[in-house]
Amino acid sequence: MDELEILKKQWQSQEQVLPHLSYDDIYKMLLKKSSSIVKWIFFISIAEILFWTLLSFLVPESSTKFSDEIGLHNILLGVNVLNYSVFGFFIILFYKNYRKISTTDSIKDLMKNILRTRKTVKYFVIYNVTASILLIIGINFYYYVNQDIVFRFMTEDYGITNISQERFMKMFFVIQILFGIVMIGFVMLFYRIVYGILLRRLHKNYKELKKIEV
Amino acid sequence: MNKELEHSFVTQLEENQNIVHKICRLYTNDSDAHNDLFQEITIQLWRAFPKFRGDSKFSTWMYRVALNTAITLYRKSKRSIKTQDFEGVSFKISSEPYDDTTEKQLKLMYSAVKDLNDIDKALVFLYLEDKNYKEISETLGITEVNARVKMNRIKEKLRTILNP
Repeated sequence: MDELEILKKQWQSQEQVLPHLSYDDIYKMLLKKSSSIVKWIFFISIAEILFWTLLSFLVPESSTKFSDEIGLHNILLGVNVLNYSVFGFFIILFYKNYRKISTTDSIKDLMKNILRTRKTVKYFVIYNVTASILLIIGINFYYYVNQDIVFRFMTEDYGITNISQERFMKMFFVIQILFGIVMIGFVMLFYRIVYGILLRRLHKNYKELKKIEV
Repeated sequence: MNKELEHSFVTQLEENQNIVHKICRLYTNDSDAHNDLFQEITIQLWRAFPKFRGDSKFSTWMYRVALNTAITLYRKSKRSIKTQDFEGVSFKISSEPYDDTTEKQLKLMYSAVKDLNDIDKALVFLYLEDKNYKEISETLGITEVNARVKMNRIKEKLRTILNP
């Protein structure tokens, strides 16, 4: 087979047109694994903020009306502004971590950056879970204080009748608490799965790097 | 100790990097994909390096790990490789001048090789690297007879592509 033989000859002379990487270029590649994980952390945090924003558009009108009537409008607005600012702050931190890691050259710095990223993610998760718990407790406390308005709204707008206020409120709070627990469970599960996997991988890389360093 | 391991790995990879570049060139179509594959192979090699005992040559071991990585990734992405893309590959540098027909034939040949499936491509690659059937079979983990039979089939396939 002539062509294959000619190709073989050509093939062996192509060495001259192949790219050439230096020792340092290759060395840096060994460190790059972590940078892609940190990039994912950054992307997921952005996806998350988009998800919550989209979700807030889906809140039914009756629920908004309820919050407005009971006087929660401004409080919720304030909570939202605060929440988005904190989210934005964390996204900036994640981005900074990502930039730092992808330009890191030495193993020592990389290890430091991995630790920093892990810490940032930990704080981010703690903030989110705590904020959810506080928000649920806060809103229910507000409902508790304003029981009369809640009951009036429910009887007028949802047509709930022939039930005493005391009985209704008891049921209302039981449902609220159960719902709150499920919600927080979901939030924790989400963080455990998504960030848990990424953090474990980062930790593995960290351990590998430590082996190299010592 | 581990610093030494790292140093020895990077030095040897630097010396033998052409093998990886050639595999990348065969399995990818643009320089971005080329660099990605190179990096992936580097990481896989580095992961496997502690298990490399040195009972075969570094380059032989490299062929095996690098080709496995390329084959696995290629399977995952399942991108179809378009024949036109190989035009970017330069055949300019050669010791002896070729006339236009040869150049054309070569390009056709190369594109036909790029169109082969992942395993066949690995086989042709090793053949082009002037490996004998024993080495080919060891690298790809098949029997020598199997390698010969496969190679003959590939040659047949290439012949029909080139002379329809």
